[in-house]
Amino acid sequence: MLKKIFNILYKYLKIDLSLKHLFLSVALYLVSAIYIIYVVFDFNEIYEFEIWISLFWIVILFVSITSISKSFFHESHNRNYYYYYLFSPSELIVAKLIYNFIFLLILFFIAILFYSFLLGNLFLSKHFFLLLFLGAFSISNCLTLISAISFQIKRNSVIIGILSFPIIIPILKILIDISKVSHINPSWNVIENDFYILILINIIAVSLSYILFNYLWKN
Amino acid sequence: MEELKNLKYIKLFSVSLLIYAFIGGFLFDVPALPILNESIRVLYFHVPMWFTMIFLLLISCINSFYFISRKKIIYDTKSYTYTSVAVFFGFLGILSGMIWAKFTWGSFWTNDPKLNGSAITLLIYLSYFLLRSSISDEIKKAKISSVYNIFAFAMLIPLIFILPRMTDSLHPGSGGNPGFNVYDMNAQLRMVFYPSVLGFIFLGIWISKLKLVLNVLKNDN
Repeated sequence: MLKKIFNILYKYLKIDLSLKHLFLSVALYLVSAIYIIYVVFDFNEIYEFEIWISLFWIVILFVSITSISKSFFHESHNRNYYYYYLFSPSELIVAKLIYNFIFLLILFFIAILFYSFLLGNLFLSKHFFLLLFLGAFSISNCLTLISAISFQIKRNSVIIGILSFPIIIPILKILIDISKVSHINPSWNVIENDFYILILINIIAVSLSYILFNYLWKN
Repeated sequence: MEELKNLKYIKLFSVSLLIYAFIGGFLFDVPALPILNESIRVLYFHVPMWFTMIFLLLISCINSFYFISRKKIIYDTKSYTYTSVAVFFGFLGILSGMIWAKFTWGSFWTNDPKLNGSAITLLIYLSYFLLRSSISDEIKKAKISSVYNIFAFAMLIPLIFILPRMTDSLHPGSGGNPGFNVYDMNAQLRMVFYPSVLGFIFLGIWISKLKLVLNVLKNDN
C-alpha cells in the first residue's frame, strides 16, 4: 500500500510539473491578493499586529480553498477511470491528503515570504513557521474531502466555497488566536489547549475522510 | 405507515409537557438575580431549542450513516427531514437568544464563542440544503449529502461542545459546561426546565415525523 501511495504521489508530481500553469496560476492568485493588501493598507507607518496577522490568515484561507479545489478539478474524467481501476479509494485519499499538505505548505511559505517582503516582517518568530506548518496540515485535512464532494457536482464551482467556509472558520479562529497569543507570550502553557483542539479536529477530519471517501468514490 | 403509529402518543406527551412548561415558565417563582431579573425565564425556552436542535441533528447524522451503509433512499429522506426541522429550531433559538441579549447585554449580537458556534452550525446546514438543491439525480444527491452531513456533524463536535467550555464569555454558564449544570439552577428552575426540554424534543420529533410522511408522499409522486 505504501508503495502504491508513493506511486500516486509521484504521478501527481509529474502531472503538476508538466502542467505548470496549475501551480503558477495559484501562485499568481496569491501574489495578486497580497499586492491588493499592500496597495490598500499602508503598514509602513503603524504596525498593527492584529490586523497584520488577521489579513495574512484571510489571504491564506482564500488561497487554500482555490488551490485545493483545483486539486480535484484538474483531473480529467478519463484519468479518474484509470485511477479507479488501478488503486483503492483509501490509497487515493491518503495520497491526496499528503499531496495537498505539501502543496499548501509550499504555497504558505511563498505567501509568508512575499507578505513579509511587502508588508514588513517585524512579527515573525520561529513559532510562526511551526504555526504555518500546523495550519497547512489542518486546512488541507479539512478541505480534501470537501473538494472531493464538490468535484462530484459538475456544473458548480462556487459550491466548494460555500461548503468549506463554515467548516474552516473554527480552524482559522484557533490559528489566529494562537498566533496573536504566542506573539505576546511565546510560552507553551498559553497555547496548549488550542493546540490540542486543533489536533483533535485533525484526527476527526483525517479519519472521516479516510472512511467516507470510499462511499464517495464508487460511482 | 409505520411512522404514524406512535404519533398520537408523542403528540399528547409533548403538548401536555409544553402546556405545563408554558404555565410554569411564566407564572412560577424564579430566583431574583441582579441584571437577569425576570428575563431568566428565557431559560425555559431558549436552551431547550438548542437541545432539540442537537438531538435532531444527531438523529439526522445517524440516518445518513444508515443510508451509506444500507443504501435505502428512505434513510436519506429521513435525514433531510430531521435536518430541516433542526435548523428551524436553531433559528428559533437564535431569535430568542437575540431578544434576551438585547435586554441583558444591550446588543443583539456579540462576538462570543457560543454565539459563533450557533451561527456556524446554521451556516453549515444551510450549505447542506444548497448542496442538495444543486444535484438533480436522486441517488447521487442522497450519497453526497449523506457524506457531507456526517463530516459536518463530526466537525461540529469540537466547535460546540469543546471550544465554548475553554473560553470565558458573557453567556451564562461560561467557563464550564455550556449546558445546564453551571446555571446556578435551583429546584424551582429545574422543576420547569427539564419538562420543557423533554416537551420541545418530543415536539421536534413529532413535527419531523409529520414532515417525513409528507416528504415520502412527495417523492413517490
